[in-house]
Parts: sequence; C-alpha cells; structure tokens
Amino acid sequence: MIAALVAIGAPVLAAFAAIGRLTRFAVTALTRMLQPPWYPAQLAQQMLVIGWLSLPVVGLTAIFTGSALAQQIFIGGSRFNAASTVPAVTVIGVVRELGPVLGGLMVAGRVASAMAAELGTMRVTEQIDALVTLRTDPFRWLVGPRILAAVLVMPFLVLVSNALGVMGGWLLATQRLGFNSAQYLATTQRYLEVDDVVSSLVKAGVFGFFIALMGCYHGYHSGGGAAGVGRATTNAVVSSFILILLSNLIITVIVFGS
Amino acid sequence: MIPRIELSGVSKRFGSRQVLDGVDVAVMPGESLVIIGGSGTGKSVTLKCILGLIPIDAGSMKVDGQEVAGLKGAALDAHRTRFGMLFQGGALFDSLPVWRNISFALPGSAAERKAAAIDNLARVGLAAEVADLKPAELSGGMQKRVALARAIAARPPIIFFDEPTAGLDPITAAVINTLIRTLVTDLKITAITITHDMASVRLIADRVAMLHAGKIIWNGPLASLDGCDNAYVRQFITGSTEGPIHMPGARP
Repeated sequence: MIAALVAIGAPVLAAFAAIGRLTRFAVTALTRMLQPPWYPAQLAQQMLVIGWLSLPVVGLTAIFTGSALAQQIFIGGSRFNAASTVPAVTVIGVVRELGPVLGGLMVAGRVASAMAAELGTMRVTEQIDALVTLRTDPFRWLVGPRILAAVLVMPFLVLVSNALGVMGGWLLATQRLGFNSAQYLATTQRYLEVDDVVSSLVKAGVFGFFIALMGCYHGYHSGGGAAGVGRATTNAVVSSFILILLSNLIITVIVFGS
Repeated sequence: MIPRIELSGVSKRFGSRQVLDGVDVAVMPGESLVIIGGSGTGKSVTLKCILGLIPIDAGSMKVDGQEVAGLKGAALDAHRTRFGMLFQGGALFDSLPVWRNISFALPGSAAERKAAAIDNLARVGLAAEVADLKPAELSGGMQKRVALARAIAARPPIIFFDEPTAGLDPITAAVINTLIRTLVTDLKITAITITHDMASVRLIADRVAMLHAGKIIWNGPLASLDGCDNAYVRQFITGSTEGPIHMPGARP
C-alpha cells in the first residue's frame, strides 16, 4: 500500500516541483523585464530573429493550409449543397484557429529550439556564469528581450499568417473550384468579425510568451554537456507545443464558448 | 595584515556528494595562490562559491575582512566588481565581436570601450585587428588571451584563473602562464589559479594549496612544494599511480 502511494506520490511531487520552478522562472523574468537596465539592441535583434526570419516558414504554412482547408470545405460542403460556405468557413477557420495555432507551432519549432540550444550552450560553456561575473543579469540580458520580442512580434506574424491563409483559400477557390473572385472576397469580408481578429492576436501574444518562456527555461537550466543541450531543445519544443495547444483551447472556450 | 580572501570551514554538498568539507585557506593582497587537486575535487566550485555563483552550506568567506557569504542583490553586485574571472573554456560570448567581449562591463561610449579593448588586447599580446573578429574565428590560445584581456579589463584587484592552460599546446600554455604571471605582478593583482598543470604551478604560484576530499590538505610556499613530505602532494606532483590517491580505473 505504502509502495503504491510512493509510486503515485513521487511523480506528482516532481510535477508540482517542476511547475513551481517554471512559475518562479516566469515571475523572475517578468519582474526583471520591468526594471532597468534595459537592452534595446538585444530586443531589436530578437525581434528580427523571431519575427522577420520566421516569415517565410509561417507564410508558406499559412498559404498551403488555407488552400487545403478550402478544398476540404468544398468537398465536405458539396455533400450538403453547402459548397458556397467555402469563403466563410475558410476565413473563420483560418483567423480563429489555423492562422494562430499553425503559426505558433511553426515559430515554436524554429524559435523555441534555437533559444534552448543557444542558452543551453551558453550554460554548459559557462557563458551565463561569465555574464554574472561581469555584473550583467542573465534575465535582463538574455531572457527578458527574448520573451518581450516574442510577445511583440507574434501578433504581426499571425496577422500575416491569417492574411496569407485566407489568400491561399481564395487562390484555390477561384483558380480551381470555380468561385467568383469578387464574390469570394465580399463573403470573406462579411463573415470576418472584429472578435475573430482580436482573439487571434491575443492567442498570438500568449503563444509568443510560451514559446520564448519554454525556450529560455529549458536552455537556462540545461546541463550535462551536448546531450543535456539536446534534451533541453527537445523539451523546449514539446512543452511549447503542448502549452500552445492548451492555451488555444482555453482562449477559444473563453472567447467563443458562450 | 588582513587577508584579501579568507575561507573558513566552507562546505558545499550537491545531493549526496560532499564536494567541499570545511575548506580553510587565506590569500594575502598581491599574492598568487595556486590550488591543485584531482578532477572533481571541488576546485572550480570553490571559486564559484567566492564569486557568489554557488551558495555555500556552511562556513565563512571574507574578502578584505568583510563577510561575503549569503550576499544578495546590490551587495552581491558590488562584491563581484572586485573580481575578474578567466573561465576554463574562455566563456567568450559567441554572438559578440572580440572588442565587445573585452569591454562588456566597461562604461563609456562605444569608441571609448573599443579603444580600451584594443589597449587590453595589446597587454595580452594580440593585435588591434583581432578586435573586430568573432570568438569562433580565433584559435584556442587566442581565445584564452581574449578571455584574459576581458578578465583584466576593469582592473579588478582580484582575478581567478580556472584551468588557464587546459587544452592548449605546451608552447601556447607557457605563453599564457607567463602572461598571467606578468599581469599579476604588473597590476598588483591578488590571484587564485586552479590547475592540474605543474608547469603552470611553477610559473604562476607564490603559494600552493592542495584540495583533496573537500579539504585543503597542504598549503605552503612554492619553494617548499618539491621538498614537501605530504604523500598526497608527492603523488600529485609526480603524477604517479602509486600512492594514497586512488583514481577510478587506475591499477591498485
């Protein structure tokens, strides 16, 4: 009986300890971000790395997914004589869900792994210790600019993702499915609501926070040489994926559930 | 005279492993102490404890007579301004050019900081052209020199050298050792160096201490090292597999 309780209790305690460590890391990062000194050059560099350099992968993902979605809606809708719903369902599907979620996942795959690898390497090569001995707070120099940059640029990336996703659907619908271009765009505009865009941008900001947080957290606490950095990278990607999907569900239920 | 650094009964445990078990050692101002000892005996941990990078479990650490164990926030930052540190692998910031690495903690405009970086590069025997290179473009010996330039850039009164010649060929190692000795003497720095390299010990040290099983088991001037009758020290400086120190994998 006691052995069974121990078997259950040990992982539960470990999970709570991990949540506590992560929460403390996040709170420390957020509070230090609000206090000087600030490093605008670091912030600008991270905005470039996270935002500008992610544009191709996010854009391509959005175009392909928007096109595929339009095709599937057309096939499914045709069974109920509802093929005309392609523009409306595509824009709602892309802006509410696919744009932010797939954009977030693609950025997570690209950025969280890179952050974990960079900070992990800095940890195992003592560069983070060197920062501290040079009187520079790693939370202000490394973690803060990454989190702030991700939160700031993700909404812009998702806006682009949404626009290209809708464009992908329009392109396929007008070129392959026989839709009238002006009518498609008018329907898209009619069904797109402000709440859809706002929820999409809120999701993007939240996803950006989790992507940078998980990348920095796992990299910062990396250990055990190259293998440790590899583990940190994997954990950063997997945990940011899970947090993106979980927070997406929660925001969707809160915003659209009623 | 008050020791510049004084450790008394410093202990540190990681999980079930007692790394430091009552370390007692003192370094006088302007003195160069070299700590020797086998791998994993806690030499680097000792330096990191003094710098406040690792908290100690018990004991006292004084710098210029002031207790520094348990310092936090601004007091800890002020404590760290007294130190420079040469890390084992150099720990140069990959993303920054050499001059920004060296002048990282220096105040002033970019032009002033670059000039200061070039001045410090000259002190370690490197040309001004190196200033704009990235660390990855330098050889191992040059990286160590740049790290040395960074350690002395703010002219701290105390510098720690963690395995300064690790991974270097004998000639480059001798150059680094000579540089360290010259800088310590010229800049009147108090230094603690940790190393396995007996050539470094003989070039850098005024005094030598041996750390074994978490304790300082021998401590004396460099001149008395070769004549010392401590069996652990004898085995270490001769590199013999016969003696009281048992390394994993060594024949009994």
